Amino acid sequence: MSKLVIKDLYASVEGKQILKGINLEINDNEIVALLGPNGHGKSTLLNVIMGHPRYVVDSGSIYLDGKNILEMATDERARAGLFLAMQSPSEVPGVSNSDFLRSAVNARLEKPVSTYKFYKALDSATKQLKMPFDLATRSLNEGFSGGEKKRNEMLQLILLEPKIAMLDEIDSGLDVDAINIVSEVINSEKEKGRGFLIISHYARLYDLINPTRAVVMINGRIVIDSDPSVIKRIDKEGYEFIKTELGIEIAKEEPNMNQTSIGSCDVKVKTE
Amino acid sequence: MERQSINKYLNKDKYVLEGKNSPTFMVLDCQNKDTFNIEIKENQKINLLLLNIKENTKFDFNVLANSSLNLKTVLKGEVKSLNINAKVQSNGDMHVYCADFSDGDVNTIVKIDLSEDNTTAMWHLASLSAKNDNKEFDVSLIHNAKNTFGLSDNYGVSKDDARLVFSGISHIKNGAKYSKTRQNAKIMVFDDLSKAIARPILKIDENEIEASHGASVGKINDESMFYLTSRGLTEEQAKELITMGYLKPILVGFEDEEIKEEISSLIEGRM
Repeated sequence: MSKLVIKDLYASVEGKQILKGINLEINDNEIVALLGPNGHGKSTLLNVIMGHPRYVVDSGSIYLDGKNILEMATDERARAGLFLAMQSPSEVPGVSNSDFLRSAVNARLEKPVSTYKFYKALDSATKQLKMPFDLATRSLNEGFSGGEKKRNEMLQLILLEPKIAMLDEIDSGLDVDAINIVSEVINSEKEKGRGFLIISHYARLYDLINPTRAVVMINGRIVIDSDPSVIKRIDKEGYEFIKTELGIEIAKEEPNMNQTSIGSCDVKVKTE
Repeated sequence: MERQSINKYLNKDKYVLEGKNSPTFMVLDCQNKDTFNIEIKENQKINLLLLNIKENTKFDFNVLANSSLNLKTVLKGEVKSLNINAKVQSNGDMHVYCADFSDGDVNTIVKIDLSEDNTTAMWHLASLSAKNDNKEFDVSLIHNAKNTFGLSDNYGVSKDDARLVFSGISHIKNGAKYSKTRQNAKIMVFDDLSKAIARPILKIDENEIEASHGASVGKINDESMFYLTSRGLTEEQAKELITMGYLKPILVGFEDEEIKEEISSLIEGRM
């Protein structure tokens, strides 16, 4: 039995408070859909749970199976059983995907996994995700397409066997076939007893995985925590009804500054 | 693997290498001498491992027509200065793999002259600069003839109070039409006091050529670190993995299992 319990959580990024009193529980064997308009703190919540250094917890608590995870470093949280599939996974040139996966698997074990056992697990997971095996041997996420990166996140989920897995828009950039594959993996991993907290903007993914609950985040708070029927309603009507029925004013996302990009030398190695 | 020792020619001023097989695997133990003049005869394919390069050593290579020289070495201990001068003649090629785990200061100057048409020079370096090391690698490829190809590929890690500099010129001279040249310099800086400089220079005096360079010097970015630690790796493990990623690719240039193992353990040892 695993349980993630978040109480009265307030958190900020660069001096701006984003999370304003989150209360949420996630149990194993549960798929919780996390919905809400852009810019209302969904990704922030996931990053705060995982311990991203950019985010500062102002107050509140997060416990996993009775352990205070706010006192743990990111790697300790991971080894305690948390997993975050990122919206845009980092590219780490030069580090081979399989070396990385093996180190990550070993970080959880007393004795390192045998080469044979590891490659067997890797082979079966790549087949489950219909990934070409060579993706496992290439540089970590480097030159991967959007869809390949997302599948690689799922590959890590399978191999690392977390208690609670958080997926941040795992379906964005995936074609229909890939969404089907990813949802099959979510379903089979749930059967193994994992709990899920899943952000998606699309009802298609939720249709395929049948969440057990849905929560809606507005203005940095959870305003709905209910059965999953609300997903269909949001898909049809948007978030307007929250204002009319619950009387909650939905803050508009502040426009971003113009994004500028600074040119840099091309550092790809040609291999002729 | 079996390599034929060429130390028996040690007393001569110039070694002339030719091999029966293609390629012929040779080894030279450099510890008793500091100047070497080596010629590869025409139509040869020589794979040469240089062992025990000591302080202040100088090499002159001359790769004659239609020959190929594949040169490799692991720098250990005190090296101080290393000079490699090479000339590659018609249709010849030269590949160098240098794995640098030496201690202290090193000043390495490499100059490969692609003197005739259809020649190739490829230089691969992996260097780890740690403690108080002060290392500089100056690698120049000079394209003097038509249809020549040059690659200077340099990867390094600078940690503790060390300093690491990659410099050098890839020069396409007048008359070297249809030549291609490429420079890469990437250095990972680990600690607040470590220093690193990448200075790639291209000089182009001809048209109808291709030339490019890429240089990057920097710390591991926070997002990569968060990504790796979010999978359960400690910061130390994440750093080690990234260092391995920078330095391990040099292994492809080495055939000998014991040398590969030595390089891996040197990376781990100096980390």
